[in-house]
Amino acid sequence: MDEVPDEVLRVAGVSHRYRHVDALVGVELDVTPGECLALLGPNGAGKTTLIGLATGLLAVQSGEVRVCGRDPRKAVTRRHLGVVQQSMGFPRTERVAELVRGAAVRAGRPASAAGPVLTEVGITDLARRRAGKLSGGQQQRVALAMALVGDPDLLLLDEPTVGLDITARRAFWQTIAARRDAGVGIVLTTHIVEEAAAVADRVVVLHGGRVVAADTPAGLSALLPDRTITARTGLDDAALRALPAVLSVQRDDGGDGNRVRVTSNAPETVLRTWLADDPALADLRVEGAGLEQALIALTGNDEKIGVTA
Amino acid sequence: MSTAVVDGKVLGGGVLGVEVAEGLRAILREPTALFFTVLFPVGMFALFASLFGNRPGPAGIPYAATMVATYGTYGVVSVMLTNPGIRTAEDRTTGWLRVKKVSGAPVGATVAAKVISALPYAVLVVLALAAVSLAVVGPVLGIGTALRLTAVLLLGSLPFALLSLAIGFVASPNATAAILSAVLFPMVIASGLWFPPEMLPPFVDGIAPVLPTYQLAQVALGQLTGADVTGNGLVLLLMTAVAGALAGWAYRNLRV
Ligand SMILES: Nc1ncnc2c1ncn2[C@@H]1O[C@H](COP(=O)(O)OP(=O)(O)OP(=O)(O)O)[C@@H](O)[C@H]1O
Ligand SMILES: [Mg+2]
Repeated sequence: MDEVPDEVLRVAGVSHRYRHVDALVGVELDVTPGECLALLGPNGAGKTTLIGLATGLLAVQSGEVRVCGRDPRKAVTRRHLGVVQQSMGFPRTERVAELVRGAAVRAGRPASAAGPVLTEVGITDLARRRAGKLSGGQQQRVALAMALVGDPDLLLLDEPTVGLDITARRAFWQTIAARRDAGVGIVLTTHIVEEAAAVADRVVVLHGGRVVAADTPAGLSALLPDRTITARTGLDDAALRALPAVLSVQRDDGGDGNRVRVTSNAPETVLRTWLADDPALADLRVEGAGLEQALIALTGNDEKIGVTA
Repeated sequence: MSTAVVDGKVLGGGVLGVEVAEGLRAILREPTALFFTVLFPVGMFALFASLFGNRPGPAGIPYAATMVATYGTYGVVSVMLTNPGIRTAEDRTTGWLRVKKVSGAPVGATVAAKVISALPYAVLVVLALAAVSLAVVGPVLGIGTALRLTAVLLLGSLPFALLSLAIGFVASPNATAAILSAVLFPMVIASGLWFPPEMLPPFVDGIAPVLPTYQLAQVALGQLTGADVTGNGLVLLLMTAVAGALAGWAYRNLRV
């Protein structure tokens, strides 16, 4: 028997090129059991390509990809996986319960494993419906149930939250957290950044096929320590810039021209003076930078590529 | 490594069962396409059998009995040549085949199930033809002969199923349907399965022997007339090997 490796997913020095595009460049990434990794990045960043390599759909061109220490191109290895693909289809004629039972058997488990998973994902009421007639969000939940039913060691979920309503999303994140706590390794991509940050242990940001950041969600948010203060003001821009600890001032073009956005890394200091100087100050809001802003900063502007992992 | 082998065994049986069940449901729940595939040969057979069925045919056996072999060839081939390929092409384009591939289950089981799940409908065609024949000329064929004929037709449909899959692996569902019909109908007519060969232009005689439908029909007829059809059987076997190689090549180039 092989030694059981520490990582359920190991991606080492992986590059992948399509005819005209370098989809991945020197990507390094590990996932250990019980770890949830959020793979973030703009459209075309290479997320689906990376998942495709891990699911064995794409052949590795350079570097190494291992799932539970084995080659994902081998069918047997893939039975350790639970996968939601970004684009997948169901046959029109199958019912939900039949699909999930089939997925259980394909993963080497008894068909009876389907029942509890339908409950876990909250789709028992859909069990007898034809999969082809379900709404997008409902189909997405069926896909999740099919990924979970094999009791995988590694979940690879490519945009599993697409089409889910708020309640379904909340349930989704609970399911993910529970599976992670049960020791499953999870890689998921999503564009709902703040929700991912709440559950993920680690965030890897891809941009142009490169890993531009890899950290905890908190660590990444801390890349941008600034806070944004928005308010209505009676002061002009020069007076605002003169306030202590102000980094930038931006006046909203619309409305009466009294709305401003002020950034600072010490908003309390700014506000102490501002409140004293400006009797017209109103509609005050202070916002943290958050992961989403960090992501925009990391990927929005090509010159900022190079923030090291 | 040992788990892999054990896993493989566990997978083999269960997965094939699941795949065949899915295939049968697919045909049962959307039976329109196959309905016509069954209805057409049976309807034509009923018409011809009621017109010429009582005339003596090869080896003195009435036409309504020997035509079970020729129309049986046509009916079984039209089911097995169209259904597996079209359904494979559909599963490929919807992304369902990709889901199965990623699941780690053997894609061979999926593909084999496409062929196996179409077989009951081929049997249905033969049964319907036999029923019509029975009604027109009575029980001319013994039960043993009828069973042997059915077995020959089903086994002999393998090269057609393989060809069907080969097209379904590479072409879109619509293209697959079009290509397979374009292959089916000329082949069936030139092999003398619709009309007696005497009614066809003479040059067709030269073409017929290179057609697998002709060879299968000869083997099927041989079960009734007792003619020696070893040569036809061997040619059909060779054609099966060619279709198998073609399907294997298409399978290796399968993009899911
Ligand atoms: N089959 C393909 N052939 C050619 N180029 C491709 C192919 N698949 C992806 N690409 C290109 O590779 C790059 C990475 O694509 P990928 O699908 O991995 O991005 P992504 O991060 O998943 O994007 P999204 O958020 O839109 O899903 C893109 O530039 C894309 O156009
Ligand atoms: Mg993608």
